[in-house]
Amino acid sequence: MQITKLKPLFYTIIVLLALVGSVMYFASVFSGILLILAAAGLYFVYYGLTEGKGASKSLALSFLKSLLIPVIGVVSALLIGGIIMGITGYNPVTAYKALFYGGLVKNWSVSVLNAAPLIFTGLSVAFAFKAGLFNIGAEGQYYVGAVVATFLGLHFNMPPLLSIPIIFLVAGLLAASYNYIPALLKVKTGAHEVITTMMFAQIARYLSSIFIRGMGGGSDGPHPYVTDPILKSNWLLKMKTIFPSANYRVHIGILIAIGMALFVQYILTRTKFGFEIRAVGQNKDAARGQGIKVGRNIFIALLFAGFLAGFSGVNQVLGLDHKLYENLNAGYGWDGISVALLASNNPIGVIFTSLLWGILAAGGQYMSRTVQTPNSIVEIIKGIILFLIVAKYIYIHIGHKFKNKKKEEREAVK
Amino acid sequence: MGAKKEKRVVLETKHVKKQFPKVLANDDINMVLYEGEILSLLGENGAGKSTLMNVLYGLYKPTSGEILLEGEQVEFSSPKDAIRKGLGMVHQHFMLVDNLTVTENIILGSEPGKYDFIDYKTARKEVVSISEKYHLHVDPDEIIENLSVGVQQRVEILKALYRKARILILDEPTAVLTPQEVDELFEVVGRLREDGVSIIIITHKLEEVKAISDRVYILKRGKIVGERETSQVTKEDLANLMVGREVVLTVHKDEKEVSGEPILQLEDVVVRNQKGINALDGLSLDVRPGEIVGIAGVDGNGQSELEEALVGLLKLESGRILYKGEDIAVLDTKQRRGKGVASVPADRQKYGLVLPMKVSENMVLGFHDEKPFVKGINLALETIKTHSEKLVEEYDIRTPGVEVPAGNLSGGNQQKVILARELSSDPDFLLVAQPTRGLDVGAIEYIHSQILKMRDKNVGILLISLELEEIFSLSDRILVLYEGKIVKEFIPENTSDKEVGFYMTGGKKTAEERA
Repeated sequence: MQITKLKPLFYTIIVLLALVGSVMYFASVFSGILLILAAAGLYFVYYGLTEGKGASKSLALSFLKSLLIPVIGVVSALLIGGIIMGITGYNPVTAYKALFYGGLVKNWSVSVLNAAPLIFTGLSVAFAFKAGLFNIGAEGQYYVGAVVATFLGLHFNMPPLLSIPIIFLVAGLLAASYNYIPALLKVKTGAHEVITTMMFAQIARYLSSIFIRGMGGGSDGPHPYVTDPILKSNWLLKMKTIFPSANYRVHIGILIAIGMALFVQYILTRTKFGFEIRAVGQNKDAARGQGIKVGRNIFIALLFAGFLAGFSGVNQVLGLDHKLYENLNAGYGWDGISVALLASNNPIGVIFTSLLWGILAAGGQYMSRTVQTPNSIVEIIKGIILFLIVAKYIYIHIGHKFKNKKKEEREAVK
Repeated sequence: MGAKKEKRVVLETKHVKKQFPKVLANDDINMVLYEGEILSLLGENGAGKSTLMNVLYGLYKPTSGEILLEGEQVEFSSPKDAIRKGLGMVHQHFMLVDNLTVTENIILGSEPGKYDFIDYKTARKEVVSISEKYHLHVDPDEIIENLSVGVQQRVEILKALYRKARILILDEPTAVLTPQEVDELFEVVGRLREDGVSIIIITHKLEEVKAISDRVYILKRGKIVGERETSQVTKEDLANLMVGREVVLTVHKDEKEVSGEPILQLEDVVVRNQKGINALDGLSLDVRPGEIVGIAGVDGNGQSELEEALVGLLKLESGRILYKGEDIAVLDTKQRRGKGVASVPADRQKYGLVLPMKVSENMVLGFHDEKPFVKGINLALETIKTHSEKLVEEYDIRTPGVEVPAGNLSGGNQQKVILARELSSDPDFLLVAQPTRGLDVGAIEYIHSQILKMRDKNVGILLISLELEEIFSLSDRILVLYEGKIVKEFIPENTSDKEVGFYMTGGKKTAEERA
């Protein structure tokens, strides 16, 4: 392949990326990590394509392929967003400068803070998708997690090493059980989970108000009602205590989220439970025919999805807000659908798409503050990205003819 | 038919070549089709038949070469162009809308009427008149999903005729038909020929070529390797041309004494289908170890319900399924498999495999939670891999590796994956449904030999097949399934396909006509 001729170029890029990344990192610009990661990824792909044999080569190829559509989607969305800004009288260059400076350099900590809850809800949606289910109500399970975490956080006086895991677990389990009725209806009557979990999300949102008002607290300036702060011992550890140079607001929630993503990936690819989930998600009939209990797997998958989304709420309460606001439209559940879609339901991919969403949100705020470009432009860009990703089914449709040809070709070999 | 003197060429290809990125699918194809003839295109799976037809039908563009229609060079950019020029194609998988009526399906895409209003009256009249003209009897108001596969195919043919097709391409038309339906199809095709319609039949079944066609092209590795007048060639010659080696068409089966207690007994089994009708209506049968019992029957007489009841996907209304003397009707699929009941499902892509999953994962599907494929809650990925690689070798499965999705494999190799999985589980009873549907000669031979091997290992085997030939060549006993009951038992040596066919149709008038 000609790609080998580009070897010096590739290695230069990789080394440069790694160098710049390291310099940035040590100069306390933590988005340098992204560059280092990019260098590692590039090396992996290049190595896989040129030196790798069989499995690693096909792995590199499928990795590249899976990147193709999201990258095209993001780049074209940024271009279209730029055009829209141009037409409406804003300078896209300064706006994007502000967006990326804000999201990656100045307020990168906000990006990370935004990403963590999205990873949990994204994992929730992605996991359900793997079982062929659409957990559209992650938002509701988020509220359950947040309410339970607040309640326990207010009253649970124990050493943090004990209390925090317990809070996560209890809140997660209750959020999971919030999906019990939708799961039961799905398995017993076939009621579609899109309808039931969405309804349950609305119920949870308004029900949370009642619980919030019942937990004690008061009004707080702009917010009609806020609970008292939870016990300090139940706060998540700040990143600062591990990395002294880290921003003071960033907490270890992002690490828990990444750990969770690895855990979900492990379950899906390496355990018999994950095997059954995938089999059920991709061909119910065959799974049933080979003795896999389809109903039970659907049931457990929806509950586990609720568990994951519940973590998102716990993460926000214990890590960031330390209290719960009434009538706050969190939106992490809805955005979780976006990041899961964008990542093609790959748990590891969800980490990166959540970061992207986080960067866009943080950068957007910075942009609207500094250059007065309306924040809605970020929402528009997000919408276009999603549209282009969902439009991958159009690409797939186009690619289908190509695939059919390939199939013919394969058959012709024999 | 042979009396045609000035045969008019309706379709001709000159040096047609179709090159895919890595594969030459069609190479220098020169063929002619005469008016009012039935032409067979014979070849193994992957010989390039379907590619060639897709080129003719406008789905693919040829890399080079010319297509002449009525002497005039044509270039189709889509099937629409081809249809406009009088080509019609009936695909192996029907393109019908299940919940619309026959008439609606036939007119779909070229509805008569003004503006947005469909003139159903005219449409219906036209459908009726075409179906009468060609003796293609079908109720124009019936919903498609209520029709048998054979009648659905008839609707497909009507669809093409409604669009004024003068050349009809039939892709593997008998793959899904029962023997009776095949006969009816051949009658229809014969009538179309008399009416001057030219017909191309794509097939890999020698029987069919002999039975119906006037002329045959044999395709192999993308090239035409022979052209024969059907009347002047034997089945054996055709097989040799097609496969390029001697094919044993008759299965070699050792005589074997079968004795002992039955391993499986069905007693008065009643099963209801989704419509609430008794699909199995007091069915009783038994299978002894080391014996192959063949279930012959016309499609839709309870075959799939029998399969599902045995596997544990359908509940019994009444009756018992005794396996080694124990009633397993109360057990679920998993438990039955654990006791040594294996099955090869009729719809292999729907019930047998998870196509997007890896070959190795499909090899352990259903056994993935048993030793040695699982350690605690973790899958023993290494063991699964080596196990699958061993089976790939043992069953001669052509795949680039065990890590590729099962959907990438050809039909024959997909079936071998299922066979490998089921047979390697060391069953005592094996249910095989439609094991060779849609497969080529080489794969059929192999699969038959594997089934016989299991018989020699003293496994009790129940074979459900719509191919009477297969039933006859494999079975030690033949049971005829009709309307959910076993109506007759035969020993293959003491009967004929005509006699079995008589009982398969309920012994009604079709048999009298033939007698």
